[in-house]
Amino acid sequence: MLPVASLLILVPLIFAALAFLTKTKELAAGMGLLGSLATLGLTLYAYLNFDSSTAAMQFFESMKWIPFLGINYTVGIDGISMPLILLNAIVIPFLILFSWKEDMESPNRFYGLILTMQAAVIGVFVALDFVVFYIFWELTLIPLFFMVNIWGGEKRAHASYKFFIYTHVASLVMLLGIFGLFYASLHQTGVPTFDIRELIAQFQFFESGLMRDGIFLAILFGFLAKLPTFPFHSWLPDAYTEAPTAGSVLFILLKIGGYGLFRISLPMLPNTGNPKLMIMMLGLLGSFSIVYGALVALRQKDLKRMIAYSSLSHMGFVTLGSAGLVALSVSGAMFQQFSHGLIMSILFMSAGAIQTGTGIRTINNLGGLAKKMPKLTVVMMVGFMASLGLPGLTGFIAEFLVLTFSFVNLPGFVLLALLAIVITAGYHLWAMQRAMFGVYNEKLGNVRDINSLQVFSMAAIALLVLYFGLNPSPVLDMMIKNSEAIVSLAAGLGV
Amino acid sequence: MEELMYLAPEIVVVATGLVVLLAGVFLSPQSKNVLGYLATLGILAALVLTVKSFGLMTMQGFQVGYSIFSETLSIDALSQFFKLVFLAVALIVSVASIKYTENSDHTEEFYTLVLFATVGMMIVASANDLIVLFTAFELASLATYALAGYEKKNARSLEGAMKYFVIGSVSAALMLFGISFVYGATGTTSIPLIARNSALLTQNPIGLVAIVLLVAGFGFKMALVPFHMWAPDTYQGSPSVVSALLAAGSKKMGFVAAFRVFILALAALQPDWQLAFTILAVVTMTFGNVVAVAQTSVKRMLAYSSLAQAGYIAMAFAVMTPVALAGGILYTLAHAFMKAGAFIAAAAVVWMITSEKTGNFDVPDHLDSFRGLGKRMPLAALCMTLFVFALAGIPPTAGFMAKFVLFSSTIEAGMNWLAVIAILNSALSLFYYARLVKYMYFLPPEGEGKKVSIPIPYAAALLLAAVGVLAIGVWPEPFVEMAMKAAMVLV
Repeated sequence: MLPVASLLILVPLIFAALAFLTKTKELAAGMGLLGSLATLGLTLYAYLNFDSSTAAMQFFESMKWIPFLGINYTVGIDGISMPLILLNAIVIPFLILFSWKEDMESPNRFYGLILTMQAAVIGVFVALDFVVFYIFWELTLIPLFFMVNIWGGEKRAHASYKFFIYTHVASLVMLLGIFGLFYASLHQTGVPTFDIRELIAQFQFFESGLMRDGIFLAILFGFLAKLPTFPFHSWLPDAYTEAPTAGSVLFILLKIGGYGLFRISLPMLPNTGNPKLMIMMLGLLGSFSIVYGALVALRQKDLKRMIAYSSLSHMGFVTLGSAGLVALSVSGAMFQQFSHGLIMSILFMSAGAIQTGTGIRTINNLGGLAKKMPKLTVVMMVGFMASLGLPGLTGFIAEFLVLTFSFVNLPGFVLLALLAIVITAGYHLWAMQRAMFGVYNEKLGNVRDINSLQVFSMAAIALLVLYFGLNPSPVLDMMIKNSEAIVSLAAGLGV
Repeated sequence: MEELMYLAPEIVVVATGLVVLLAGVFLSPQSKNVLGYLATLGILAALVLTVKSFGLMTMQGFQVGYSIFSETLSIDALSQFFKLVFLAVALIVSVASIKYTENSDHTEEFYTLVLFATVGMMIVASANDLIVLFTAFELASLATYALAGYEKKNARSLEGAMKYFVIGSVSAALMLFGISFVYGATGTTSIPLIARNSALLTQNPIGLVAIVLLVAGFGFKMALVPFHMWAPDTYQGSPSVVSALLAAGSKKMGFVAAFRVFILALAALQPDWQLAFTILAVVTMTFGNVVAVAQTSVKRMLAYSSLAQAGYIAMAFAVMTPVALAGGILYTLAHAFMKAGAFIAAAAVVWMITSEKTGNFDVPDHLDSFRGLGKRMPLAALCMTLFVFALAGIPPTAGFMAKFVLFSSTIEAGMNWLAVIAILNSALSLFYYARLVKYMYFLPPEGEGKKVSIPIPYAAALLLAAVGVLAIGVWPEPFVEMAMKAAMVLV
């Protein structure tokens, strides 16, 4: 068996290094494509050899790294990480194709950073040791920071610093939580370890309830700020909007906050001092994000900013579904991460294409673009419909699962979230109508439609949205066992 | 004879210093460049010998160490670790100086001073007696005073050197005064004997007076607030290679001296100096980071960041668990590479600006000089990025590993508030480090902004430091282990 988990980090990293060294744009993009295709190949290999009937860790590798502190290089893939790796591996090649013909400064760095980012994100997904996890977690900051800061829009400096420092502080708080976990367990067992699963198992034996709460909240804060969820989202609109299209898509693929919830926070939650309070808090934050994101998206003038807030709204379903703590609501939340990654990629690519085509993003100044950009309009329509939750597309499956099954434990919050559905449909359709349909705004001049590579990559993602919307089981099946395992930990809670 | 063997690294460095000094007299000015290579070779040999001695001791019980010369010097894991730090810095500095002293008439003096400063620091690391410690301290200090004023036609260099000298002399006097109190109370200057008689110090206020004087004396070298006044001016004014030696090397001398004097000799007074260092650590790191944000001179910014880093290291005294001490000791090594590297990168930029005679000639290390460095000197920019990210504690670098061990120890000791302060500081520091990266990569160069090929000595020194930073970050095990052993000497 191939050591897939390690290769999934190593291969993009090697190609990233090669891409950095290239001199021409063609070579850089080619290297990027090659690296991402190799990663996709490895991912498909892992996917085909993946056993969905178990919650156990697969493709497990472990190597001693710093024995004195109990730090090991431990990686593995299970039903929580596999779909997210798949998402990354699928979208990145299309992203590279999408930006293939764009003119840009220093393309070697551009493609190198995309692949570095891919390696870092996959590193977070496969890491089973807190130190490895944290290293990759922090590593994701650097490519994104550069992405926004070099190729971003007008306010890129502000946006990149805000994002960098905001989430870095949150990560440091999380690191404190990890330290707390480590030392409390060392105190308990006398054996130093940073193994994620081992430490989570030890968590319930810590004596002080206050300490357990402190550790849980510190780690949770890191995840919630990255997710992000209301009220820790203020970096998101700036960063998503100012980032270049590829950067926005990379932000969307940065599903490490939600991943952390499933991998670390939810298994710890039942053993906190007051689990019910924590669940209420998560539910509240989730449903608030859904409503708040939708309301703010409704009044955005900037298309990209609207999409950014709609992303905040959608990520609320992840938090809400997690708090639901029923196997299917948790699966729904996981599926939302997968689905959201695909859908938002289309949306941000559309916004990017409109900006390159017309030079503006203000919704009211567009109009009738469907006449000039028919191909874009079709794929964009699929993305928008999926985003508003049209049945038959992936967004519907995820949100349906989350709302239906969270209702068991959190009826109030679900009702609150339901409110947002109307608004969500509203702002999507309204934006589409103002920007794409109606009378063509002649001030825009002669606008060219997207090129064939862009059509291809966006359409391919759109087809996947349709395919997994009609037949979610290839992805959903992987998640069920792990969701059940998470929920069974909370079984005695009686929530 | 056996005793001399343990001192082989020091002997090699001293001998090299003398040879360099003497050879300088006979060499023609054109061929003086060879002295730099000679000094580098000598340091390299000493480095190898030190590493080797570390290996030898591991087998024979390193913790006890060897006391030689009537117990005035002790060779143990702690001393060897710090010698490693000093020699590594000296190596980086001497490689880079090959370029810096290229057209100088005083190459031999420069290298001799560097070598003597290094040997002073190495003896401080081994000192087992307060008189030896003081003498070696002064050896290193005097050599660095002269180095700081090496550019004798540069007003800033002279100002920095003058400040450094005056404040340094006062602090040396304070230190000596403190030592005299310790001697008066215990009747000895030997560190182990003081430790044995330390009950005498706790019985009357003399102990407290000694602590205050010693903290002030060492605090000057460590550049802890409020004894830091000289540091920004001196680091900015001195030639960058000398700043590297000061910030990365001689500052650590203050730490190793404090480790030996406070933890080994004055253990009985631990509650008192622990409180003092806790306050100093918090004040220093916060002050350093806050003021660094406002700096436009990169060397000055690095000086304040160096203050902040000293604040982190001083946390080891505040926490005082084995892990904290190991963390502090590991931090000194990590900081040596990061800071030396950063100053060398600044040196390369200053060289570029002054040799081009464009740009801001008055303050050649101004942030604006770093504009577009990513295009102008890619290697220097890349290494600088690595160093500042390491200083900020981003993985997988030495800075992250050192912070990881050090900060985690505060949690272990239950000093959560200290961990929170340190972490907030660390986040704040990212702001000005990231700003430098922004200047190097995102802002267009001033003027023409031609690509400049970096002089080979600078490139070599940068790569040396970069290898150190990455080695500790990626493969920390041996370094953590060495630091742990060194910490065991203190526990």
